[in-house]
Amino acid sequence: MSSAELFGVLVSFQPDAPEVQQKRDYDAQARDFVQRVANIGPSHFLKGADTSQDLLDMLSPSVNTIGYLFTLRVRIAAQAENPKSQKNIPETLRPGGTLWNKTVEFLENADPVQLRYVGAEWRKLVEQVETIARIIGSPSLAISPIRSAMMRLDPSTGTFTLTHLHFVRLCVETRSYSAALPILDNYIHTLASKVPQAVRENVDCAVACADHTNSGEYIHQHSGHTEKITLAEVQEYYVLGAMSYIGARQFKKAKQFLEHVLVTPTNNIANGLMLEAYKKWVLVSCLVDGKYTATPRTANPQAIKQVRFASRAYEALATAFEQVNNLPKFRAQVNAGRDVWADDGNTGLVHELREQQVRFYVTGLSRTFSAIPLSNITGAVGGSVEEIASYVSTLITDGKLNAKMEQSSKAEVGVVLRFFLDPTQGPLAKTEKQQQQALFEQTQRTNVLAEQVKGVDYRLTLTKEYIDQLKRNNKKSAGGVGDAMDTTWDDGLDDEDVMGDM
Amino acid sequence: MAPNVEQSAFFQQQKNKGVVVVKDPPKFDLESYISNYDGSTRIHRLHHIGASSTYLAIDAYRMAIAEAKRGKNVKSYLALVEDFSSIAPDDSMALSDMAWAEKKSREVKEEQDKLEHELKSYKNNLLKESIRMGNEELGQFYYACGDYTNAHKAYYRMREHCTSNKHLADMTLRLVYVSISQNSWLALQSHLVKVDASQLKGEEKTKLDPIVSVCQGLAHMCTSNLKEAATSFIHTSPLFLTLEPASGITWQREVLSGNDVAVYGGLCALASMDRSQLQTKVLANGDFRNFLELEPHIRRAITLFCNSKYSACLEILEGYRTDYLLDVYLSRVLATIYSQIRTKSIVQYFIPFSCVTLEEMATKFQLTGEYASIEDELEDMINSKVLDARIDLVDRLLISPPTNPRYDVHSDALKMAETYDHTLRLRLTRLNLLGAGLEVRQDKNQNKESLGLGDSIGASLRGLGSKIGFQ
Repeated sequence: MSSAELFGVLVSFQPDAPEVQQKRDYDAQARDFVQRVANIGPSHFLKGADTSQDLLDMLSPSVNTIGYLFTLRVRIAAQAENPKSQKNIPETLRPGGTLWNKTVEFLENADPVQLRYVGAEWRKLVEQVETIARIIGSPSLAISPIRSAMMRLDPSTGTFTLTHLHFVRLCVETRSYSAALPILDNYIHTLASKVPQAVRENVDCAVACADHTNSGEYIHQHSGHTEKITLAEVQEYYVLGAMSYIGARQFKKAKQFLEHVLVTPTNNIANGLMLEAYKKWVLVSCLVDGKYTATPRTANPQAIKQVRFASRAYEALATAFEQVNNLPKFRAQVNAGRDVWADDGNTGLVHELREQQVRFYVTGLSRTFSAIPLSNITGAVGGSVEEIASYVSTLITDGKLNAKMEQSSKAEVGVVLRFFLDPTQGPLAKTEKQQQQALFEQTQRTNVLAEQVKGVDYRLTLTKEYIDQLKRNNKKSAGGVGDAMDTTWDDGLDDEDVMGDM
Repeated sequence: MAPNVEQSAFFQQQKNKGVVVVKDPPKFDLESYISNYDGSTRIHRLHHIGASSTYLAIDAYRMAIAEAKRGKNVKSYLALVEDFSSIAPDDSMALSDMAWAEKKSREVKEEQDKLEHELKSYKNNLLKESIRMGNEELGQFYYACGDYTNAHKAYYRMREHCTSNKHLADMTLRLVYVSISQNSWLALQSHLVKVDASQLKGEEKTKLDPIVSVCQGLAHMCTSNLKEAATSFIHTSPLFLTLEPASGITWQREVLSGNDVAVYGGLCALASMDRSQLQTKVLANGDFRNFLELEPHIRRAITLFCNSKYSACLEILEGYRTDYLLDVYLSRVLATIYSQIRTKSIVQYFIPFSCVTLEEMATKFQLTGEYASIEDELEDMINSKVLDARIDLVDRLLISPPTNPRYDVHSDALKMAETYDHTLRLRLTRLNLLGAGLEVRQDKNQNKESLGLGDSIGASLRGLGSKIGFQ
């Protein structure tokens, strides 16, 4: 096959062509095309490399995505198949080299619909980017391309794949916490799962190229975008995600991420990651709310009991933290558990708690006082008036405190901290319009979410276990079918566990 | 004499035990006070007064010892004398009369043998009514000796031999009486329920009702359920004052007098009800008015509270603090009741104002010694969310915070929506994991593996945790 012939083959699939406007036709042709290209021997792709006839120059990543991807893969494999050390990686493949640049360009611009048909190749390419970046000793260079690749494939990035996990690992290892946030902020709505064969073939509009609202329809274990996912991997993703949030000092989100680990379905037993998560969760809860609240209700009580038993030191610390008027006790607890924090890698968080405790003390004052001389605060916290003054002013500028400082007319009183009692006044005030806007946005988010929950609920009804249970129920009583999960607004806090008896 | 008493070993000990010791003379006269009562409650009350008031200690103990010598309770006599000897060792009554004690003990033993013997013979002859009465007599005997546990047991044994509802009610009332003497309020409550459930009708029932509600009130008050206590007391029928003895017990003399009901009911109501409730349920209550007339100052205090004259009301109550501390039941809960009334007064006082100076508060509400300054007290009240206000320490003002319900509703809605959102996400994760068949199982291999993984992650993040960007 000459390179011209090959080129002809590679451009033979045109996503905009009139004959593939029907989704079913598109699907059939795309599958066919992938099959054909995959059967072409690697040597053909290498012809004309680095010349003016270079396939990579002639093909467009965004139009001939499938062809481009295969070409790219073969070219990289020819340069460095399974590279082990820096020596094995040629200049062109290193960041800044032409092949690297082409890869990055491809990951950023590929056609998302075509990518649905070449999951395995796409995944390997992403993995190679990571491997190369790691081997040459600057793993952080892979973060941005991988992130673009994930976004390109699935703008919601809500279908969990192993790429998610690898990406977060990379970010945590390189401490590029804020780089991970765009992915972490998109919550996981679907796990790439095994959809039963019968369902895949019989459900309408199941073709991968259709306009799916849920990316889980085209990213699953058969599509090749991910390998089999285990529970520990999902949990690890959430723990690492929480650590990224902690690193980026977004403690509330970190807390919510950790809760995802705590609600893991379990047969009355906890695993190591749940323990790790619980310890961090106690600390982060304190940072968010000033105290540690109840664990999520869907969590397994037995498992929670086990992890609590192993986290006594943390709970003692949290209890001391809650007593904002008793700073020395808290400091003593911090010192007493120093080895525990160090062993668990939580020293940083504990330090943060110590830093933040004064903040909770000062915020707590706003519930009791409308104005208080700073000299009164130093009595409880220690330090000089000047130190407190500068600390409080940072709190105010950071938006942590709705208050202002002023010089009192009486000389003996000195600087005064004055809280704004009316929430519509002061630097943190929100107008009604802003509130309404926020409410409106929240409503939309929640509606989307509720749809997704319904979707999962539906998918659950497709599993074998559910059907078995249903059969059993039907045998027991004619009407004993479990109601579908209610996702309306009014009873969001009720505990409806559809799977409770499974 | 008084300073002597105060320095005595006994009161030093009481102070060390944390018992409230009253030094001021009370408003009442001991003789006339105690003449309101009969039976064992006299010794009980005298003992309490003697042990708490340095002013009345000697008189009270003397009367109590004389009283005890008339009864069969040798143990209580010896205990009283022992206490008294550490208060006033030189007093003639401070020496225990051992001859009397021995003689009495012997008599008591004989009487017990006799009663038990009689009961045995009734049992052998299967005389139902006699067995019941035998048990009753034995119970009364044990009660007189101060052996409440055995008295309780004896009365309880009457149950299977009761043949009419009247007998059952009698027995239960006796149990109620013993429970009060034992200060076991929970048992008392359960017995009262039984009295209430007994199927007495008509006149019998109207006779028992006041007794039940008074005892109920007492039980609630002693367990600090002030609201329920107030309700029970203020619904007591005035019949109580003139009631014939029931089950051989004159309740208004042997348990609580009408004055006690007025004081307890009035104070509990003040502590637990708001102004309109006080007006409609207490002052306008025809039944309770009969009691309130016995204690006009309580009535005055309630009226003052209803008329928003809080400081005057508190002043009256403060004036009677000593008296109430000497009351055997009230003394235990008095601090709670008073502080609740005070807190309520402050809250009620502040409602119509948007701003009051702290000095004004301090003059209106004189400190009771619990707090160093009015600011501290107010701060505590605000922190415990009793008082909705803010303190301005600079201009020394108490400020009522502006409310903005519209804003609050909006932010609450937003917060709720966020919570709901998060809850849904958690559910989503859980459902997804379940749907994918992922679950932590008690499988040994998997368990080990996942634990191991946790460890390794912990290890790899260890160094990192300590460094996470905290300068």
